[in-house]
Amino acid sequence: MSVKYQSQKIAEYFYTFAVVLFLVQVVVGIIAAVQFIWPSFFILNFNTIRTLHINALVVWHLAGLMGATYYVVPEESETELWSLPLAKLQFWATVVAITAVVLGYIWMGLNPQANSPIMGINPLNEGREYIEAPRWADMLIVISVLLFLFINFMTMMKTKRWTGIQGTLVGGLLVLALMYLPGMFYSKSMVKDQFWWWWVIHLWVEGAWEVIAGALLAFMLMKVVGAKREVVEKWMYIEVGFVMFTGILGTGHHYYWIGTPSYWLWVGGIFSSLEPLPLLFMVWDAFRTTREARNVENKAGLYYTVAHAIFNFVGAGLWGIIHTLPQINKWTHGTQITTAHGHLAFYGAYVLLVMAMIYITLPAIRGVKSFDASRAFASFWWMTISMVFIVLTITGAGMVQVYMERLMGLDYVAVKATYNLWFWILRAIFGVGFLIGVGIFVVDFFRLGKGSAHVVTAASERA
Amino acid sequence: MSNKAARNLFILGSLFFFAIFLGLTYDTMGKLDKRAPEITEQVNAGKMVWHKYDCIGCHTIFGNGSYFAPDLTKTTLNKPKIYLRQFLMDPRSANPNASMPKLGIRSEEADDLIVFLDWTSRVDTNGWPPKPILAAAGGVAGKELTEGQRVYQSHGCSACHTINGIGGTTGPDLTRVGAKRDRAWLVGHFKDPVAFVKNSAMPKVEAPESEIDKLTDYMLTLK
Repeated sequence: MSVKYQSQKIAEYFYTFAVVLFLVQVVVGIIAAVQFIWPSFFILNFNTIRTLHINALVVWHLAGLMGATYYVVPEESETELWSLPLAKLQFWATVVAITAVVLGYIWMGLNPQANSPIMGINPLNEGREYIEAPRWADMLIVISVLLFLFINFMTMMKTKRWTGIQGTLVGGLLVLALMYLPGMFYSKSMVKDQFWWWWVIHLWVEGAWEVIAGALLAFMLMKVVGAKREVVEKWMYIEVGFVMFTGILGTGHHYYWIGTPSYWLWVGGIFSSLEPLPLLFMVWDAFRTTREARNVENKAGLYYTVAHAIFNFVGAGLWGIIHTLPQINKWTHGTQITTAHGHLAFYGAYVLLVMAMIYITLPAIRGVKSFDASRAFASFWWMTISMVFIVLTITGAGMVQVYMERLMGLDYVAVKATYNLWFWILRAIFGVGFLIGVGIFVVDFFRLGKGSAHVVTAASERA
Repeated sequence: MSNKAARNLFILGSLFFFAIFLGLTYDTMGKLDKRAPEITEQVNAGKMVWHKYDCIGCHTIFGNGSYFAPDLTKTTLNKPKIYLRQFLMDPRSANPNASMPKLGIRSEEADDLIVFLDWTSRVDTNGWPPKPILAAAGGVAGKELTEGQRVYQSHGCSACHTINGIGGTTGPDLTRVGAKRDRAWLVGHFKDPVAFVKNSAMPKVEAPESEIDKLTDYMLTLK
């Protein structure tokens, strides 16, 4: 197995960056977990650590999805990338911009006054959850994404061979790029600020990203079990269609309590209750397609693909629906219940997705016929079991918090101090378990196919 | 269904729902200003301070943000501004148990931030956060409150102080205050806290002499 087009190898650049950031994300995540027990544990305060944790997550997923796209588009278009040097430039420009942003966060963490406004703009950190990147970095990110879309679009134009997977993938990326823009308005009203901000956050993770996930799931099912294109594409359209039908108006579940009109309670309640449906379709699709698969060469790829479908449904679907109705959300909003949902949803929907894509495409990039999947399995079980327990722990903490704070009316600080030291200790312990899984994955990523035994030489490939 | 039909359903359906979403957004934007107080320059300056120190990295506002520290949407309704001001500038001087670090917030920044938080506290949030069920039930186990307890409740003292495990953690625990302080100290302290406790962030109790007496009686029973 090797790549059909040499320029597909650019994917590995993005994967490498993604894997390094994944490790950073989990390490700072553990620091954050310890700070729940011991707030002054680290030289950087919790807010900076959390900013790093979340931004590393967003950026490594984006880098992974970009890598995957650079792999998929040449293959689907049956041609080399339009311009490999430009793709490399886009990669390095992204790395430099992201590194500068991270250094800015750390500098601000050490010296909060460094973020004093210059001409009305905070230079190091915009101070808005998930999209903390300052304005100058926003511009660079937009340029990088436009360049990325342009390269892929020109590649498709070379052969004009439009496939459904390719169209859906690039459509999802285009929506993702467009939906970044509402986050760049500045509004004096915190209500309007949050209103537009959810366009970015919700329409990304429960809209564009799920569409991208649907397209990649179809691609992976074709690659791993040799499913027929006509069949996977039809299901892909149905899945991503339902993602959009439920997800767009599902944004309403963020508009219950931020100062918006009360009709959002109805709109959000109804449509977000339906949001698990497309995720259930994806699970069913993955099972149906892979059930008859015999003699699958890439067992790791198969494993991660199916696990992605399942945990996308459990994390985003089930853990989302438990608190999505306004009558329930009224009590759980702004508590650890949300954190629990966030962790499992991102793990299932996007961590496993990017890892599945890596395990499916990296062997080809490295020219490996077969590889030992034992590290991939070990990493999967360490991470998954740890994440399930992290989520159960946080859910438990959230339930106690809802009861003591929201129902009994105890003070937040009193609740935090008394109720859940054990929850935090367990969360940190399972966090270390997760880190072990990530460590195994990182080692596997860098060593996959590098052992001499597995390398397919030109001669043996001919034979 | 053919592939083409599925694709068209996906594209046209998405556009249809997005059009509805745009319509609702347009309608919402026209209604938001009526649901919130007017935004002054100081409210906006406070919002910039909120962003500058990345407050959202620990706190939530309207329930969105980080769950490491309390939600601040309605904080100015519960905490005295004098306390908030001192807390923002040097958390531990206002509350020795605070886990918030001293960020170097300047005094005018603290003032702006409080004006901003006062603005958010008056936004119509469809009744969120809800009134706790047990607190809303009122009274304690059906027992009649004494007059002093009634004064304690009506002045919202429990937002900051704890008695027998119930109340806030902003101010000192009052469960055994009667064993530590005498009448003269308590009365004087209610009228002018700073004269008795240096750097105290407690606001003066603005109440007639008779109510202060009853409150003091109640405090003296706590032993």
